[in-house]
Amino acid sequence: MAHAGEAAAIEQAVSRRLAAFARAQQIRLALVWVGLAAALGWLFARFRFDYGFMVGWAAFLVRGVPITIGVSVVSITLALVLGLVAALGRLSGNPVAHGVATFYTSFIRGTPLLVQVYLIYLGLPQLGIVLDAIPSGVAALSINYGAYIAEIIRAGILSVGRGQVEAALSLGMTRTQVMRRIVLPQALRVVVPPVGNEFIAMLKDSALVSVMGVWELTFRATKVGRQYFRSLEMLVFAAAIYWGLTILFSTLQSRVEGRLARAYER
Amino acid sequence: MRRRMGAVAVALVVGLAVLPAGAGAPRDLLDEVLARGFLFVSTDPNYAPQSFINARGEMDGFDVDVAKEVARRLGVRVQFVTPAWEAIVSGRWGGRWDVSIGSMTITEDRQKVLHFTPPYYFTPAQFAVHKANTRFRAVTDLTGRRVGVCGGCTYELYLRGTLKLVGETVEFKVRNAVIRTYETDADAIQDLALGDGVRLDAVLSALPTLVFAIKRGVPIKLLGDPVYYEHLAFAVDRFSLRDPTRFVQRLGEIVQAMHADGTLTRLSLKWYGVDLTKKK
Repeated sequence: MAHAGEAAAIEQAVSRRLAAFARAQQIRLALVWVGLAAALGWLFARFRFDYGFMVGWAAFLVRGVPITIGVSVVSITLALVLGLVAALGRLSGNPVAHGVATFYTSFIRGTPLLVQVYLIYLGLPQLGIVLDAIPSGVAALSINYGAYIAEIIRAGILSVGRGQVEAALSLGMTRTQVMRRIVLPQALRVVVPPVGNEFIAMLKDSALVSVMGVWELTFRATKVGRQYFRSLEMLVFAAAIYWGLTILFSTLQSRVEGRLARAYER
Repeated sequence: MRRRMGAVAVALVVGLAVLPAGAGAPRDLLDEVLARGFLFVSTDPNYAPQSFINARGEMDGFDVDVAKEVARRLGVRVQFVTPAWEAIVSGRWGGRWDVSIGSMTITEDRQKVLHFTPPYYFTPAQFAVHKANTRFRAVTDLTGRRVGVCGGCTYELYLRGTLKLVGETVEFKVRNAVIRTYETDADAIQDLALGDGVRLDAVLSALPTLVFAIKRGVPIKLLGDPVYYEHLAFAVDRFSLRDPTRFVQRLGEIVQAMHADGTLTRLSLKWYGVDLTKKK
């Protein structure tokens, strides 16, 4: 009995130590961030920015945020659908599906996004297809990111053990059922972190749709900056907003990851 | 925009490779604009004071005022689109907008892809140097020096010695300049402002743009006299999906009328403080 009590006391002491250590680590982490932020702030202070000017245009700049987020959210959703189809095509034994999927990922990953934006904005009208600026931008971003996400989803699908698929098939499930019930739910856990990463990258890549005259964050920052010959101020301001958005969305992402990881916790 | 999107949907559904013509006889661009009740005007809000975004977040400037007046005279409403300059000068707009009212210089090369109206005003092309500069006293002193210009615009062609203007003979006074190209004039001006000779020795830009920068406190000053005059006009896509002939003609008549009744002079005085609507 006494023995058991002693063990419990030791366990308690260890967990207290561990908690104290974790707290200390967190404080160190926070201090590093504060220090680096201060250094960055000092650097920018030396740029002799006109803060009154920045504050004056803040509202105008911020009105670009919903467009940036909206374009990115719609595009990543469509890109996921495209990516799933392309991944299934790549893994398929059908030569046509395989060929189409590999050609798509090769062409898209092999050419710059800006060129693709112009192909859709200025190229498609030559064929009589005139999409407005925002749909053109969404199309370009979804098609581009779909190709990268296809590779992520393919990796996710391949991460599910072959034995599980065989077991499910031997239970009498069809291939579609195996995909839907066994493979994809498990692949999801592997796929979410890199897709979140893609979304964060897209938030900034959406700036490329500004060449089509979409009044998103970067468009607004560059136009105001040039007009007052204070481009650096406005671009740094826009950068700060992008960073804020990235922090927000990476927090959301780690929540989602936490949820999906639950089944795997001991 | 919505109407055209509808048309596109129809085109996609029936699988046509070209925009469907309206019921009956095919309409030309002028009919299309009048029927639609909207004039889609492209202008690049990178160039104050002719086209910029004002403190209320709206399009404003000389070109914007001119465009509104043109639409009023056509009896339609105006809608601005703001694509990148490259997308405007390259032509083949695919019907995205009807006309560029964006202080575009008439050049022989651009005439291959765009129709131009008669000029609505003229801007002097002018060199500027940093305020602290004492090295250069005349434009010819810039020979072999680093000069900043917007890429693909007439200023770059001038420095290359290949500029061919319509209605103007160009004398190339600066030879062998080290050309530094930027996305817009404003970027070049900001680089010059870093200091005398830091990145650039001079910029070549439109006189109104430079004067505007000086007024906004940018530390630069003008050098010598203007080197040439640009004839600025409205442009219409030569490869327009609908026949643009009558539309270009009508725009030309409107420009002439706005010259004759003093509207353009009034707007020039309002935005530039001088009358730029008459050559020199």
